[in-house]
Amino acid sequence: MPQRATPDNADMTNSRQRNSWRELSFVWPLSKWLWSFALTLFGLALVTFAMTRLSPIDPALQLVGDHASQSTYQQARLELGLDQPLPVQFFRYVETALSGNFGQSISTGQPVAKDIARTFPATIELATAAIILGASVGLALGITAAMRQGTWVDGLARFVSLFGYSVPIFWLGLLMLLLFYARLHWAPGPGRADVVFQYTVKSVTGFALIDTWISGKAGAFRDALAHLALPAIVLAFHALAAISRLTRAAILTELGQEYVTTARAKGANLRRIVFIHILPNISGTLLTVIALSYASLLEGAVLTETVFAWPGIGRYLTTAMFAGDMPAILGATLVVGASFVLLNAMTDLGVARLESGKKR
Amino acid sequence: MSIISSRAKLLGTVFSLALAFSAPVVHAETPPNVLVVAQSIDDAVSFDPAEGFELTTVQSFNNLYQRLVQSNRDDGTKIEAALAASWEAGSDGKSLTFALADAKFASGNPVRPEDVIFSLTRAVKLNKSPAFILNELGWKADNVDAAITKVDDKHVRLTWTADVGSGFALSILTAPIASIVDEQTVSPQAKDNDFGNGWLKTNSAGSGAYTIATYTPHEALVLQANASSSDKPTLESVIIRNVPDVGARRLLVEQGDADIARGLSADQIEALKDKSGIKVLSVPSARQDYILLNSKANPTLGKPAFWEAARYLVDYDGITKNLLRGHSSVHQAFLPNGFPGALSDTPFKLDVEKAKKILADGGIKTPFKIEFIVFNDQPFLSIAQSLQSTFAQAGITLDIQPGVASDIYARGRAGKFEMTLRYWIPDYFDAHSNASAFAINKDNSANTVAKQAGWVIPELTDETLAAVKEQDAAKRAALYQDLQKKIQASSPFVFMLQGNDQVVISDKVKNYAQGLNADQVYYDKVAK
Repeated sequence: MPQRATPDNADMTNSRQRNSWRELSFVWPLSKWLWSFALTLFGLALVTFAMTRLSPIDPALQLVGDHASQSTYQQARLELGLDQPLPVQFFRYVETALSGNFGQSISTGQPVAKDIARTFPATIELATAAIILGASVGLALGITAAMRQGTWVDGLARFVSLFGYSVPIFWLGLLMLLLFYARLHWAPGPGRADVVFQYTVKSVTGFALIDTWISGKAGAFRDALAHLALPAIVLAFHALAAISRLTRAAILTELGQEYVTTARAKGANLRRIVFIHILPNISGTLLTVIALSYASLLEGAVLTETVFAWPGIGRYLTTAMFAGDMPAILGATLVVGASFVLLNAMTDLGVARLESGKKR
Repeated sequence: MSIISSRAKLLGTVFSLALAFSAPVVHAETPPNVLVVAQSIDDAVSFDPAEGFELTTVQSFNNLYQRLVQSNRDDGTKIEAALAASWEAGSDGKSLTFALADAKFASGNPVRPEDVIFSLTRAVKLNKSPAFILNELGWKADNVDAAITKVDDKHVRLTWTADVGSGFALSILTAPIASIVDEQTVSPQAKDNDFGNGWLKTNSAGSGAYTIATYTPHEALVLQANASSSDKPTLESVIIRNVPDVGARRLLVEQGDADIARGLSADQIEALKDKSGIKVLSVPSARQDYILLNSKANPTLGKPAFWEAARYLVDYDGITKNLLRGHSSVHQAFLPNGFPGALSDTPFKLDVEKAKKILADGGIKTPFKIEFIVFNDQPFLSIAQSLQSTFAQAGITLDIQPGVASDIYARGRAGKFEMTLRYWIPDYFDAHSNASAFAINKDNSANTVAKQAGWVIPELTDETLAAVKEQDAAKRAALYQDLQKKIQASSPFVFMLQGNDQVVISDKVKNYAQGLNADQVYYDKVAK
């Protein structure tokens, strides 16, 4: 016998429906986002594949060199699947990539997934240290410059950000190595660790700071930290330029807003206005610029990684490009692309939350 | 007052932070029992001697593996015993029987005839990049099993079908691809009939002075002393660090954090020459730089008059003295100095008027333009610019088109180029290594440089194949001299330079040895 809906039951049904709608309202954007994520990665793979195929590099020739016989060259082409039509090559790649297997790298002879697991943590470690440093200093500099607009502090902040924008990053890296490593002996040389520590600490996570910390060797941890400092400062300098400029500009724009005039009329001082009223209002913009800087550090630290012999994914990708190493190019691009999309999504979420809590 | 004090506080904080940070950084020197080498190892693809054909891997093979015979370190033309205690040539002229010396692999396993058979047959069957070297003996996948046989527990016999003498066969056996690997260690690692190739890409199984302790691609190669080696190395380990930036490499060796630095530029070498604590070794190298003309690209490039004129449009002295400053010397024949029979005379120098006359006499009208494809790297671009300037004086515009190496090789292979600048390093220590590249092209059937130049030379091919058969060393050298003279007089190649490898080395490092050929890098006797 069908149960009649009592008012209580009706409420429960409605509440269940509401809950399921609530669940749906969560599921729908998530699935939409997942679709967009998958499509972005597919598009990225397609474009990268097309670009590697349009490039003049012949992966088989890159692998066997110029002295090899024709039969060796043909054998390499077969092994790399280059004899197959392009769509077949692409879909075979997508098929294997979906199973988490990016194939074998031509330039290292290792599985691409293993190479990425080795190189990406090095880049994440460097980029994270750089963004923490760059964002802290950049925000402080931007806020100070805006609060003391027109003073020497403002001038200095603008000069630093202009310098950070315009100076070639590899040149800055070399200059810092020359000064702090070669001249002052304050910092160690290129690489992630001194040779005495490099092969005595087991790589567990791939993050030198974490691995040396859990190894319990204080000297090794200090050495890893010291090696990280210089390249992180170089990258941070580049990031802080963007962050401080934007922070300054955003605060100055807000200072002309009506709510600031009202707050001033109520007797609030500049410090209070900036920290209590303006910063929460521009926090979404600041979060976006910091996230964008972080994302660009994750994929664009190639020259810093080269100068500091930092075995990160940027340099891995560049070396792969020069070697026409298609599995490595595609694998590394997908991983970097995926982290870019994830970072963007997290930023959007963060910005949405900050926007909802805006204070005027 | 408050501003000053807050600034002073800020500066004080920054300064003390800097000091606190700098205090723990002890300026490290390399450990006494470890040799640290700074160079780029980005080229390394495989440390399997049957596959590795890149500079980094080739430089490691003499330290990881031994062959039946090897080239003398000081005089590469002399072949000496290594894993073979002695050898005897067969009366048929196409076989050698080797008596094996008492030697052990790093695993502790003794070196047996089975290891020789396994090593050489797998190299042929795998058919990787350097396989063509063993193919010179006529060894192919389908006949190599019968060509290498066990005589008894101490003897192994090698036979070949190619029309070459035992002297040449011995030279071939000095090449890295002829390295002997430990069959008992490698075989269990084989997957999908790869003869252990996948495993040997990053591991070693040889009887050399060192073994691979760790190899992290694009990061470092760590070699560990082989305890079973009959000639134990002086140092416990060698760390070859990947330092892609040459500026960073220079700093490392200057600061004592690296004992050896390779691949520095002419400017950097110049700056380091008088620096205390380090020295610059200039080691003659068998590498040669030459211009390759495609004689089939257009009628002008096919004319011997143009080839001859080109030889007088190179500023040999200017390039070596001003551009390369010690990195190369003038050399104008296809065999590098140090190889038996190499021609050392330099009959050509920059003479624009003579070149113009040769062009006019040959009916070649100027001005005209040539596409000049060049590696997008130094010193090729600098040399190309020098050539552009000197060729222009004779009314020839060189349109320099920089490109990546594989593209330039691909265009060479396909004959889709007009002029290019290339280098050549012999693959093994025998004149035939270079002669077979530049003086063989009977019918466009083999991938030789002569074929890439579109230059069909049946007569020279026959002469080259006769030279490789010659058993008398003096007569053989004379044949190669004759071949070089012919190619020097008329060919679509302009040989210009022979390299000098400049290695920056710490004063503390003793007994570092490096020979003429790319594989002749030895760390076993190095002491600190």
